[in-house]
Amino acid sequence: MDLKWSSRRIVLVAAVLASLAAVAVVAGSSLAGVSSHHSTTASSVIVDGTTDTVVNIDPANEYDYGSFTVDLLIFQGLYGFPHGAKLEPVLATGCKASANLKTWTCGLRKNVKFSDGNPMTSADVKYSFDRVLKIKGDQGIYTLLSNLKSTTVSGPYTVVFHLKAPQSTWPLILSTNAGYVVEKAKYPFTKIAANTDPQYGTGPYELTKFSPGQQAVFTPNPNYWGPKPKNGGLIINYYSKSSTMKLALQKGDLDMVFRDFTPTELSSLAKTKGIVVHSGNGVVIRYLVFNVKDAPFDNLAVRQALAYLMPRQDIASRVYHGSVQPLYSMVPKGLPGQIDAYKTLYGASPSVAKAKAVLAKAGVQTPVPVTLWWTPTHYGDASADEYTEIQRALNASGLFKVTLKSAEWAQYSGALGKQYGAFQLGWFPDYPDAEDYTVSFYQCGAFYNNQYCSPAMTKLIEKERAARTTGARIAALKAMQMLAAKDLPTIPYWQGKMIAVSKSNVQGINGTLDAAFYMRFWELSKS
Amino acid sequence: MAGTSLRTYLLTRLALVVPMVLILLTLVFLLMRVAPGDPISAALGGHVPPALIKQIRHQLGFDKPLLTQYGTYLWDIARGNFGTTITDHRPLSQIITVNGAATLELTFFAMLIAIVVGVVIGLVAGRYRDTPLDVFGRLFGIVAYATPVFFLGLMGQLVFGVWLNWLPTSDQASPITQALLKTHTNILALDAVIDGNWSALGDVMKHLILPAATLGLATAGIFIRLIRVNVIRTLRDDYIEAARARGITERSVVYHHAFKNALVPVITVVGLNMALLLGGAVLTETTFNWPGIGHALVTYLENRDYTAVQGIIVVFALVVVAMSVIVDFLNAYVDPRIRY
Repeated sequence: MDLKWSSRRIVLVAAVLASLAAVAVVAGSSLAGVSSHHSTTASSVIVDGTTDTVVNIDPANEYDYGSFTVDLLIFQGLYGFPHGAKLEPVLATGCKASANLKTWTCGLRKNVKFSDGNPMTSADVKYSFDRVLKIKGDQGIYTLLSNLKSTTVSGPYTVVFHLKAPQSTWPLILSTNAGYVVEKAKYPFTKIAANTDPQYGTGPYELTKFSPGQQAVFTPNPNYWGPKPKNGGLIINYYSKSSTMKLALQKGDLDMVFRDFTPTELSSLAKTKGIVVHSGNGVVIRYLVFNVKDAPFDNLAVRQALAYLMPRQDIASRVYHGSVQPLYSMVPKGLPGQIDAYKTLYGASPSVAKAKAVLAKAGVQTPVPVTLWWTPTHYGDASADEYTEIQRALNASGLFKVTLKSAEWAQYSGALGKQYGAFQLGWFPDYPDAEDYTVSFYQCGAFYNNQYCSPAMTKLIEKERAARTTGARIAALKAMQMLAAKDLPTIPYWQGKMIAVSKSNVQGINGTLDAAFYMRFWELSKS
Repeated sequence: MAGTSLRTYLLTRLALVVPMVLILLTLVFLLMRVAPGDPISAALGGHVPPALIKQIRHQLGFDKPLLTQYGTYLWDIARGNFGTTITDHRPLSQIITVNGAATLELTFFAMLIAIVVGVVIGLVAGRYRDTPLDVFGRLFGIVAYATPVFFLGLMGQLVFGVWLNWLPTSDQASPITQALLKTHTNILALDAVIDGNWSALGDVMKHLILPAATLGLATAGIFIRLIRVNVIRTLRDDYIEAARARGITERSVVYHHAFKNALVPVITVVGLNMALLLGGAVLTETTFNWPGIGHALVTYLENRDYTAVQGIIVVFALVVVAMSVIVDFLNAYVDPRIRY
């Protein structure tokens, strides 16, 4: 072997080492450089991570939670939930209904400006509603305005909504993203603005940069009419895997994470020094749907037996480590009008004896072979464990023989009810009210194709919509929940807590975890 | 004559791109539609009534006969209109430029690492055959090649990101850097240089190390073995013996004579490995949350976004074809013995 080192070789090696050293110095100084360069900015800007995705920022076609989180920061509606789960006027000063509940007249707040400094008037409000109905975006948000016949204005600060049918809950609809107000001069009437186009709203932030799939950057809106955000801005970083996001949080790249970690990751983070897991009342639910015309689920006794055996506590503790709570109604706890209808009829805990009795009385031979469908790609990694737990409980009773089947979401969502007799679904609200958890599920022709259509339920829905007082509406909602628990088109089993994880120096998170299901980033600050 | 044959060859290859892309497009078009599920159900199922889903499918033309949809799509492609994605309404051109730039950045540095590591270790292993250096080189090559790229990435994150805390574990840059960096080329390293923002450049380079090394090492394994074999074979050639007989030093024989000739087949492999690199980029980008075109492809595949998947696959195919043509050209240019 010829290992003589010539001067030429020494120079070459030295040059390579010098280059590597230069790269190392530049890379090594980067963090210090970034920190010092951005010290004033970095200290007040909140950096949030999420696994949500953004589909459309333009509120006329926005109907997913990731897009909603962005819109909540830059747009506002006539009503909203600015301080918690209580509906309050936001851009409106208030709305009055006509005697027949078909005409709603709303006064607008004066001196409200869009982020570019232009004033908001009734013309912008009318334009925003007309636009949603004109575009009929493929995300389907316009369906929330299905009861709106027309919108008229009466001066620059009064808007009148003319409805097709009486609706006492119209202000709730005004709080949804379908009712967000955009600047008339800046948004085309017949098409959706691109996500990378400038956005103009009246909210506490303006969107200064949007990199699809990567990052959304917000700075405080200089023309905001309300109190300034408690932070100097917000960056939302998007991740496709929660494990990568967890690493980023632990390494300090993120100040907080809102949506979503797996239960195992949450348990691990709860034990991590310097990290806090914040938990509050949530309104996301999981439920099992039955195609009530599909054997064996067309037999009420079979559905009742399943209701008696649903292992809610085991799912909450073993699968989700306490990050969800047992749910006994399609309406989550915390919303006015909620009652634990399923607990009343089927008990708080599983009862094999009662399940056995109901099947015996109906002459159903056991074990009953049933197939339960679930999806691994839409509701998180814990879905597999969730359904394994349900299978375990049902098989252990000796009354059922459960086969589990799964399909990825793109296939699953198209087959609901059509091919599956019993299947997993989840729900987060269009607006945090019991109506959104009842009417959506119990009306004939519901979105999940389960063939449930009850004249008694239809009457209750009409009664609720036309109720003139809160008491009458709540009574109708309670009756709907009891009837649903008797008819069993679905079995709800858990209600998720609203969870955010942050470094210990982030303040204000606990105050925003409530049934409104908003992350009010403008209330957060860092010390 | 050689120039004419090469020109003819290149023109023929370029002409063959059209039917090749057409066949690929047709296959992807059919496979996407045969697979269960569709983008509208994926986006709206479980939340809106089936009647509305049906209506939206009709609006977008997904209920038309397959042949009609195929014809419409080809006509749009012919006019240069690759369309917008169904799920998030992004123009395909934007995905190609923005996400493609991120993949280009990653694969460029990965290939750089692959070449440097592969050439150096392969050369040393071939030169010092059957010594511990050779054994190390061969083992390193096999392990690097055989290890799944996502596993390599995860191990890199664990060791360098978590245990040692030396390197970031995801993204192209830290959130603040990325927020403040102005977009010029969508290649963050270049954008930082254009802005003269050296701290941002350092941050970007630091974020590049793990993903580029992960992807590059997996490819380096192939180069190590190839270069080693070529060096050994070349060192046995007659002209090498003749050079030694003429008294030329061993170092000069190896580096000035054998090595250059041993590298010629590597040009072909480098070009062809671009295809493997793109495939590996899909997994690497997902592991490191790198916003490349591979990562985007996975997301759009999960959502059955026909337009996005078709468009991205076409881009991949065109890149592979382009690399293949460039490699053939370089081979003919470098080695005058090659005729087409």
